[in-house]
Amino acid sequence: MATQDFVSRLPNDIGGFEAGSVARVEHVLEPWEKRCHALADVLDFKKIINTEEKRKGVEALGETLIGKLPYYERWIVAFANILFTKELLSPTELAEKMAEVEARFPVESGQGG
Amino acid sequence: MTSVHTDHHDHDHDHAAIEQVDRPGYYEVMETAIRELLIAKGLISAGDIRHQIEVLDSRSPALGAAVVARAWTDPDFKRRLLADGRKGCEELGISFYDDTQLIVLENTSEVHNLIVCTLCSCYPRPVLGLPPDWYKLKPYRARAVSEPRKVLAEFGTHLPDDVEIRVSDSTAAVRYLVLPLRPEGTDDWSPDELAAIVTRDAMIGVIPVTIGGEAA
Amino acid sequence: MTDHIDQDRPGRGDGAAGDAHRAKPTSSAFEIILPALGERPAFEVGEAVSVRDRSPIGHYRVPIYLRGHVGTVVRIIEPVLVDNEAEGYGRNAGSRLHYYRVAFPLTELWSRYEGAPGDELHVEIFETWLERAQ
Repeated sequence: MATQDFVSRLPNDIGGFEAGSVARVEHVLEPWEKRCHALADVLDFKKIINTEEKRKGVEALGETLIGKLPYYERWIVAFANILFTKELLSPTELAEKMAEVEARFPVESGQGG
Repeated sequence: MTSVHTDHHDHDHDHAAIEQVDRPGYYEVMETAIRELLIAKGLISAGDIRHQIEVLDSRSPALGAAVVARAWTDPDFKRRLLADGRKGCEELGISFYDDTQLIVLENTSEVHNLIVCTLCSCYPRPVLGLPPDWYKLKPYRARAVSEPRKVLAEFGTHLPDDVEIRVSDSTAAVRYLVLPLRPEGTDDWSPDELAAIVTRDAMIGVIPVTIGGEAA
Repeated sequence: MTDHIDQDRPGRGDGAAGDAHRAKPTSSAFEIILPALGERPAFEVGEAVSVRDRSPIGHYRVPIYLRGHVGTVVRIIEPVLVDNEAEGYGRNAGSRLHYYRVAFPLTELWSRYEGAPGDELHVEIFETWLERAQ
């Protein structure tokens, strides 16, 4: 495959690709997944990150990450990257806040964060 | 997620490691951190998020099923719904919080409609709630546009070749809702009785509505 | 079409001067309305259109499997909307144009399509992605 095809085809543009049979999987959203969805809607409503920016942000994760991360994991990582680009958050700020959130939960043996 | 309080065991040995903490995963921590930072900066409010969660919880396939049952029993409503799906639903009080348009696709003895979003996961959320996982995963998105009859067969739906399969791929601000065929033998059913057999998957177009069916 | 101007301005009943700002109650006012840029659809229902065969990078909303294929306009989407591709870069405005619901025979999209010959794909495409088919 010429390298330009990797550039001009977005990793989410899969219509017509070969794929396995459809497994009718579904799950009830975890509370954080629903909060993540609500966050997306609010960010779009306020035009802080519109829906199309979110889609582009997910595409920008690249094929490998898109393949490995579940749905809302892709969204929240995309939001972080977009907020950095817009200078609404900094990577340091987010790292420190994540450490603070983790510290609210007592560490237990054998299970890291 | 493991839960501290809901998981009581019958047997007597300890599960200290499991029972101690409900520790959030990495991405949940990230979600919490981003949300709290945005709230602290005044960009969004906790109330915004709470309210939108309630909005999401208020949307489910029961709304779509009520729309379908009304269309089956009220020809004037059906005409308006097919002409402008969003206005038809708005008549019943369903708001389009995501600012999308809606086209209602009528299944007939000649045409069977199927909806998909190949590029992401566009779905008529205001009318059906959030989509199932399979709708967002590669096999359905990749194959629904190129071999829809094989995909339908995997849902147990087999249609003769003289029924046209019409696949709609959502790529713009337009969403779709399939108006399934009304099953025979339901002529004297009330709208509520009809709504009870209209499933989410029938409104996506992967299965028909059957009398034995139960609403999702 | 109001005739209340004189009442609003007591003591200034000079009809000749008042005519200039009076709306004329004639149908000709409606006959000369010109649609603004983008208000009139560029394509009609029933028209054959082809999807432009360009290959943008970065972000797009027209899947590659449609590029270069010929379909038929089956519906013009109202109201006019902004191009959602442009929104991907945080631009929340831009020109509003029509989206068109275009029907393609699945046998046209996939040379080895194994379903029935009447099977179709319908999709909404922004005006700037379409051109008249030859």
